[in-house]
Amino acid sequence: MIGVWAVELGLFVLVVAALLAERPIAVGLTVAAIGILLLAARTSPRLWGWVATAFRTHRAAALAGAAVLALALPFFLRASPYWTFVATMALIYVTIGQGLNVQMGTAGVINLAGAAFAGLGGYTVGLLTVRLGFAPWLAFAIGPLVAMVVGALLFIPILKVRGHYLALVTIAFGFIFNILMNNLEFTGGPQGIKNIPTLRLFGHAFTTAPTLFGVTLPSHANFYYAALAMAALVTWLAWRLYNSWVGLTLNTLRDDEIAAKCSGVSVTRHKLLAFSIGNLFVGLAGAFYAVMVGFVSPPDFDFGYSLVMLSVVILGGLDSIPGVVLGACLLIPLPERFRMLHEYRLLLYGAAIVLMLLFRPRGLWPAGVRRYGLGSPAGSFGAAGTRAEGVGVSR
Amino acid sequence: MLEVRGVSTRYGQISMLRNVSITLGEGEIACLLGPNGAGKTTLIRTILGIVRPVTGSILFRGERIDGLTTDQIVKRGIGVVPEGRRIFPKMTAEENLRMGAFAQWGTTEVAGRLEQIFDRFPRLRERRRQIAATMSGGEQAMLAIGRALMGRPRLLLLDEPSLGLSPLLVEQIFEMIQAINRQGTTVFLVEQNARKTLALAHHGYLLQKGEIVGAGTAAELGESDIVRHAYLRA
Ligand SMILES: Nc1ncnc2c1ncn2[C@@H]1O[C@H](COP(=O)(O)OP(=O)(O)OP(=O)(O)O)[C@@H](O)[C@H]1O
Ligand SMILES: [Mg+2]
Repeated sequence: MIGVWAVELGLFVLVVAALLAERPIAVGLTVAAIGILLLAARTSPRLWGWVATAFRTHRAAALAGAAVLALALPFFLRASPYWTFVATMALIYVTIGQGLNVQMGTAGVINLAGAAFAGLGGYTVGLLTVRLGFAPWLAFAIGPLVAMVVGALLFIPILKVRGHYLALVTIAFGFIFNILMNNLEFTGGPQGIKNIPTLRLFGHAFTTAPTLFGVTLPSHANFYYAALAMAALVTWLAWRLYNSWVGLTLNTLRDDEIAAKCSGVSVTRHKLLAFSIGNLFVGLAGAFYAVMVGFVSPPDFDFGYSLVMLSVVILGGLDSIPGVVLGACLLIPLPERFRMLHEYRLLLYGAAIVLMLLFRPRGLWPAGVRRYGLGSPAGSFGAAGTRAEGVGVSR
Repeated sequence: MLEVRGVSTRYGQISMLRNVSITLGEGEIACLLGPNGAGKTTLIRTILGIVRPVTGSILFRGERIDGLTTDQIVKRGIGVVPEGRRIFPKMTAEENLRMGAFAQWGTTEVAGRLEQIFDRFPRLRERRRQIAATMSGGEQAMLAIGRALMGRPRLLLLDEPSLGLSPLLVEQIFEMIQAINRQGTTVFLVEQNARKTLALAHHGYLLQKGEIVGAGTAAELGESDIVRHAYLRA
């Protein structure tokens, strides 16, 4: 248990050092140290075996340790609002990644319009608060629902067709969304919607710098903690879904639709379910983004970001819940750290996707095999709870 | 149990099945023989609602099922081993089997049924956590049959379950089908192996170019000239 925490703490220190280091040499050294450590762990089966076993047997401790470190991160980054912001973006992408993963990883429903669905969430918040005077929290709650409902309504007829068509249609949808936002009067055209009011919690505005334990953090820390809560909640939901009978049923759509039908699965209904859950998560992240930065405009939701979202899922590992977390935490901060890479961001993501698909198609952290055992907690999910006989995990 | 009445289907402009009628009584093993491309798989797909009949009707246990969706049809108690087996490749053996009981999910029976399938196919128990795509052809065949049985079907449709298997395994599969039938499941078997199939079935049909050209008890079919020349080379 101590070992697990030591590993986590060591990685944490290195990552923070890498983020905050000023001189290129220091950055290079810390990044190299992380790389060498990971490589050493991977190439030495004994070391890797030890780490893997330790984390598997002390799963709760590992999660608790990670939670503590995630909560502590803003204190270490307090000198830099910028890095606090980047860390928050990574958490937003965790949320998005879990959503896309339900669609593409679990159910095999390709969605190349992630940015547009995030945009639906974000623009809904902007329109409702700025144009119609809704309370921020209410608008924030409605945003994700709009993304989900619009997605469901538009795509019911298309979900019946297979694979590549859906990819094309979602690409088209992404572009249409952008063109509309650029040209419609009431969405503010290219300028977008400005001055989206921020959220308040117990009278505390999210734009006010918080003071915790006598330490004043940058105001972005508010959003960091909120994003952490959001990402944790969505990841937990995704995990429950993955291990429930719904997750397994969605897997059959990915594997073989005809066989799924022959087992009694209603293919269209379940595709719609996966698509809707995914868009709900993605829309939530978009709504969060809107209240965080305070404005939305068409370039925030263009096709390039859909590709970034796709890369997060593919890099982490399709259908892998922890993989998505890892993918987002790697792909979002890296180009920010290496500014020279920033210009080639999309190229980098494209290359990452191609390399992954070629050499490690199951991702950096591949999905594990579900275990079914006697006495396992019955995996249940929402209304489906009563049907969840024995599809739990016990590890 | 199952009645197909004057069913015709077409793929686009090309008409495939023409006025096909078959009847399966409860507890029987019926077989469907026919050369490649005769339309055997098409008939199975039509019963399952994957292909829609242009004319005719299909009754299962006295109720019309043509017009229902595939998932509604199988939930009435039909288990399927589709052509090419179509196991779920990226899922484990156990997950494949569990999906077979999809319609009854939530009953506490699933675990018990799983044990029964494992008793029937001990090989699958050993490999329950293996990804299905990595299993051998024989194991995949067992998995497909096991999956179909998990739903405790009243009627089992098998489309060439023995394809590509060694003679020993074919023998086992046929014995298995017989055992399943003895426990009360009606079986509709599509096969190329006419000799073995006729030894197993109670009665059967002969399909050629989309039309039923022969029907009768297994003995009658085995004696018929078409079957003898085309299949038994006797
Ligand atoms: N989706 C389709 N579109 C057009 N033609 C099709 C389609 N599916 C099958 N066919 C054609 O229908 C005919 C019958 O096919 P079917 O699969 O039913 O044959 P079969 O009797 O099962 O043959 P086999 O013993 O080789 O499996 C074939 O000529 C095939 O090419
Ligand atoms: Mg066939």
